Amino acid sequence: MPAASGAIVVEGLERRFGDVLAVRGVDLEVGEGEIYGFLGPNGAGKTTTVRMLTTLLLPSGGSATVAGHDVVREARAVRSSIGVALQEAALDPLMTGRELIRLQATLQGLPGGEGRRRADALLGRVGLTAAADRRVGGYSGGMKRRLDLAAALVHGPRVLFLDEPTTGLDPVSRKTIWEEVRALNDEGTTVFLTTQYLEEADRLADRVGIIDSGRIVAGGTPESLKAEIGHPHIELQLAEGSIALAEEVCAAVGRLLPPRDGRTVLVEVENGAADIPRAVRALDEAGIAVESLELVRPTLDDVFVAKTGYHLEEEDGEAERGAVPA
Amino acid sequence: MSALARNARVVRALGMRSVRQTFRRPQLMAPIVVFPTLLLAIQTGGAGSAVELPGFPPVQSFLQFMLAGAMMQSLMLAGNSGGIALAVDLEMGFTDRLFTAPIPRFAIVLGRLAGTAALGLLASLWFLAIGLLFGAEIHSGLAGALIAVFLVTATAMAVGGIGAAIALRTGSASVVQGLFPLVLVILFLSTAFFPEGLMIEPARTIAAYNPLSFVVEGIRNPIIADVDGGELLEAVLAIAGIVALGLALSARALRHRLRVG
Amino acid sequence: MEGVARVPQWRANLATIAALMARSRNELARVPGAAIPGLLAPTIFFLGLNGVFGALIQLRGFEANAYESFLVPVSMLQGAGFTGAASGVNLARDIEQGWTDRLLVSPAPRWVLLAGNVLGAGTRALLPATFVLLIALALGASWPGVAGLLVTYAMVVAMAAVAACWGSALALRFESQSAAPLMQAGTMALILFTPAYAPLTLLQPWLRSVAEANPVTEVLEAARQGFVGGVDWAGTWPGLLALLGLLAVLGAWALREMRRTAR
Repeated sequence: MPAASGAIVVEGLERRFGDVLAVRGVDLEVGEGEIYGFLGPNGAGKTTTVRMLTTLLLPSGGSATVAGHDVVREARAVRSSIGVALQEAALDPLMTGRELIRLQATLQGLPGGEGRRRADALLGRVGLTAAADRRVGGYSGGMKRRLDLAAALVHGPRVLFLDEPTTGLDPVSRKTIWEEVRALNDEGTTVFLTTQYLEEADRLADRVGIIDSGRIVAGGTPESLKAEIGHPHIELQLAEGSIALAEEVCAAVGRLLPPRDGRTVLVEVENGAADIPRAVRALDEAGIAVESLELVRPTLDDVFVAKTGYHLEEEDGEAERGAVPA
Repeated sequence: MSALARNARVVRALGMRSVRQTFRRPQLMAPIVVFPTLLLAIQTGGAGSAVELPGFPPVQSFLQFMLAGAMMQSLMLAGNSGGIALAVDLEMGFTDRLFTAPIPRFAIVLGRLAGTAALGLLASLWFLAIGLLFGAEIHSGLAGALIAVFLVTATAMAVGGIGAAIALRTGSASVVQGLFPLVLVILFLSTAFFPEGLMIEPARTIAAYNPLSFVVEGIRNPIIADVDGGELLEAVLAIAGIVALGLALSARALRHRLRVG
Repeated sequence: MEGVARVPQWRANLATIAALMARSRNELARVPGAAIPGLLAPTIFFLGLNGVFGALIQLRGFEANAYESFLVPVSMLQGAGFTGAASGVNLARDIEQGWTDRLLVSPAPRWVLLAGNVLGAGTRALLPATFVLLIALALGASWPGVAGLLVTYAMVVAMAAVAACWGSALALRFESQSAAPLMQAGTMALILFTPAYAPLTLLQPWLRSVAEANPVTEVLEAARQGFVGGVDWAGTWPGLLALLGLLAVLGAWALREMRRTAR
């Protein structure tokens, strides 16, 4: 069978758990040296898809190749070519950081000396040299993620799978991980990144796939997806007055979008900033006091809303389905 | 509704919950029923010739002798299990829900004990049934069986109180679980598995003073002989002593927990 | 980042097994008191059973001159059983916490991952076995001689591996620590449905039949040789054969479960 052209090629991938079809025919392709962002809420099928691509789960249907190897028939070859940093940062609290990376090197079949050399280099790269001989059980969340990343890189994988690498991390730790991912990609590593953070996908990914209820609902570069949605929208925070009246007034200016909360009106406008004076005049004539007004250009959240009908809300780092009636 | 009726309702609800918790997870039943049954089979099959030893009490069979010990083991494990379950509730924060409810604090412990008592009742019926199935007689008949059931159920509650006290004090399921070997030690150092007169020192001397020996003899008596009022009284007093200890420790542990949070 | 040169597969396998065995010893070495439950359980059984049933030695049919001598091999094998079952519980914990995924996404063959766990249990079983033996000798058990000691330890290590295969299979099947009682009960039954408390001739008929069919009876008799009499090949090979058979069957099941983890 000729090797597939992309670093990751997925055709009609399916996975069933009993009666539940968690992944329903996913098609995607990730080119060599790309960062691919896989975006979706909890329960959308992201982790299930990643587990199939990393050979932890057998597909119920469809096919996938990673680094040119079929994930079912050539599973070991896939495992030799990939690095995986999983969502749970599967680490042994009784091992030191150095021991863990050396174990990873052993699992990958590296010679002892080479494994030790690479372990030391990677610990330095992720800023864990000082903590290398301390037990992982005493590491912070950010340190654990960095260690997990370092362990995934010890054998120089062609493709790196990062399953929600920054979930639960503080902004500084998150930024550190982003910088490292970019640096790896600059060195030629293909990165498959699942995330529920829009900003993460927007900043890092060359291309993005949005999955919802087991299906890819959109795919492309972040810019092309946003351009597809088209128009910016005005965000109005009301100081006082009826939201219903404000929506009625704004409906004459542009297209109303699903509200995010009880004090904000969102209206898509065709002419961008030029529509702001119209909106302000209409609200003023209706006696509605506005606390703030902002022109917001399309984001990936808007893409998500357009494709699924609801926001990808973020509360305490947990994205949930926040279906809001129009 | 009177306060008594209200409290009884709360205790009943919490008791039902603790019983349901156990029966909905069959793997939790294993220590309480399967292990003692397994050991009963192994010990009667392996050491059954012991009835030929000079000084062994007159019994119909070694199985008849061992039934009380098996029930004792089962109820001790039920008490330990109940303590583990309460500790898990503490770790999970479920007890916070109870502490913030308008219910008396003792209802929380009593509810847990009600569940443990139900397991003790089950254990007594199970082993009586096993005994009858495999040919052992209950010498004192139905009355004897009822006495055995009552004593086992009461002891289960008593031992459960100690398990609950440990759980409340430590708040850690793994600590309570770690006491499982201690349960075995206490049982081995009693007359649960062999007559006192035929045990080897120092186990023999310890068994002579171990309160559990009095309880075991009280449970065993109506199974292997006519009901002896003296044995029964000693068993009841021993159980009362364990209940008092459990209540005192639980109350103290509860006060400590509410103080430190 | 570029890929790397790898060692030959057989060397990688050995290195992986050694690394996993080292990891399995971490808990004993690095968690204060972690070794205690594993030492306590067989010791309590030994002391308890000896104190309770020691008078059985008066019955005709015992070859040993002290019940401690008769009982100590049982307790050593029990220690092996507990250790093996505990390794199954540890594997279940690793599965629950995601550690096993790290091993499963590596190119290490599944049998290598299993071997690391099983052989780790085998070596760890030496600790409780030695502890119980020392206590038994202090209480008057017969010295089994060097040959008897070697045979007993061989049986202990292999029995721990058997129990680890059983525990690992259950851990992989249920993927939960709640299967722990089943792991312990299984090894307990295997070791105690034998002439554990009394010789075959003194067992009740039903238990005698079960014991005669139980391969671990041969293991126990082989381990007991030095403590109750002389050691010879005739008394040893049935135990070895029984262990090989158990390892083959339970090992195959555990490996099958390991390979099915992706289903």
